[in-house]
Amino acid sequence: MLGLMLLWQLGTSFGPLAGGSLPSAIDALSALGALLVLPEIWIAMSQTMYIALAGLFASVLLGIPAGVLIGLSPFAYKSLKPVLDFFKVIPPIVIIPIVIVVFGPTSEMGIFLVVFANFFMLVFQSAYGVRHLDSVLLDTLRCYGMSKWDEIWHARIPGALPFIAVGVRIAVAVSMVVAVVAGLIGGAPSLGQQMLLYQSSGQPNQTFALVIVFGILGLSLARTYSIIQRKVVFWTD
Amino acid sequence: MIKEISKNAIHSLWLPVALVASWWIFSTNSQDPYFPPLRVIWEQFVYLWVFDNVPVHVVPSLINLFSGFFFGVFIGIAGGVVIGTNQGVARFVEPAIDFIRSIPAVATVPIFIMIFGLSYEMRIAAIAFAAIFPTMLAVIQGMHSNNPTLLDTAKVFRLTPFQTLVRVRIPAAGPIIFSGIQVSLQVAFVVTIASELLGSGFGIGAFTLIATDAFLITDAWTGVILMGTLGFLVNVIFNLVERRALRWYLVSKKLS
Repeated sequence: MLGLMLLWQLGTSFGPLAGGSLPSAIDALSALGALLVLPEIWIAMSQTMYIALAGLFASVLLGIPAGVLIGLSPFAYKSLKPVLDFFKVIPPIVIIPIVIVVFGPTSEMGIFLVVFANFFMLVFQSAYGVRHLDSVLLDTLRCYGMSKWDEIWHARIPGALPFIAVGVRIAVAVSMVVAVVAGLIGGAPSLGQQMLLYQSSGQPNQTFALVIVFGILGLSLARTYSIIQRKVVFWTD
Repeated sequence: MIKEISKNAIHSLWLPVALVASWWIFSTNSQDPYFPPLRVIWEQFVYLWVFDNVPVHVVPSLINLFSGFFFGVFIGIAGGVVIGTNQGVARFVEPAIDFIRSIPAVATVPIFIMIFGLSYEMRIAAIAFAAIFPTMLAVIQGMHSNNPTLLDTAKVFRLTPFQTLVRVRIPAAGPIIFSGIQVSLQVAFVVTIASELLGSGFGIGAFTLIATDAFLITDAWTGVILMGTLGFLVNVIFNLVERRALRWYLVSKKLS
């Protein structure tokens, strides 16, 4: 890591990139230091987290129960699968132009985008998890004369949790990204909007410093989630 | 058999058809400026995209997408092979890769705009850059997950390191590599659209943005539908290619 920083500094000071508009490592890092004492960065960061977390919670609360219910009914699963397959692969960025005119450049717009990005994937993961249970396990339960309700509560839902956990892990990363994109492209109040401001007003050092902030945020979110996941679904791996 | 297939088709198609139909019916008399009737959107779609604006807006977007994508995947595979087969290099660069991967790809577009301006090169470079990492990580992971027995067998047959790499290690990691390439393709698509939405004269994203700014909501809807459909089709085509390329793997899984 340090070696690469050195390479970056040397490349921008003496190498082929010298004199270009790419800031050197020292410039970007000192800009980062200067940014971190500005109140507006912390406000933008909390706005970003607000969009990401509110969207994440909303999509988890809506998507997982919907997915579990759909997974319990073979008919619903078969009917909805093509719809889910379609929306799952559509990136939320393509609907931004319409969402902007409906919501305006607001936090609600960002939250809507986060939910759109996560919802179908979470529904699919939960439905898939509920359906794809070991058939030997199911037969065993039936032999013991378990009721339908017990089967759902004690076998299908716990069996689906690892799949749901994978879905939520993806959703955590996606929520952060979409919260940033909602600001950068849609103008929702967030770090993304701040970045667009720096870029369009010709402040390359600050723009680059924000990229570093995104990297740190993304890494720490992923780490935090993997710690929580290990505690909640400890019986996998 | 035929009955079975048609029953499956009805099962999986009735809902999409019903959804589109109800959108069509419920929006027929819509006065809401943001949600024009689907019939109007459809007429405008045909007027705009069959095929007057295709050479101006769709073709450049697709050329950017695929040139950036192939460029990025090529670098990703080459870099992944080098990193995945050398422990020393891996230890040196992996933290940096981890870090860069955590940055939203769209957020790197302003950096490329700073370096290249609003140019053709900017778009390709940003798309390629975003496409590198998912593929590269998948290749590294694939190299690490190679079955040791396979490598020993290759040694027994006295394959050269290069032969082992091309004939054994890369094909064995095929399924992992392909899932990485698919993520690369999806990211490349997003960055293509983002680079157009962030300022450009041509491309579907730019067209849609200009329509939104001019409050031509119906035009914007057609752009959104076109982008969504393209995003979906690109994935479908990828899945077909993947199934063809990994046929040996799918067949061997069914046999075992």
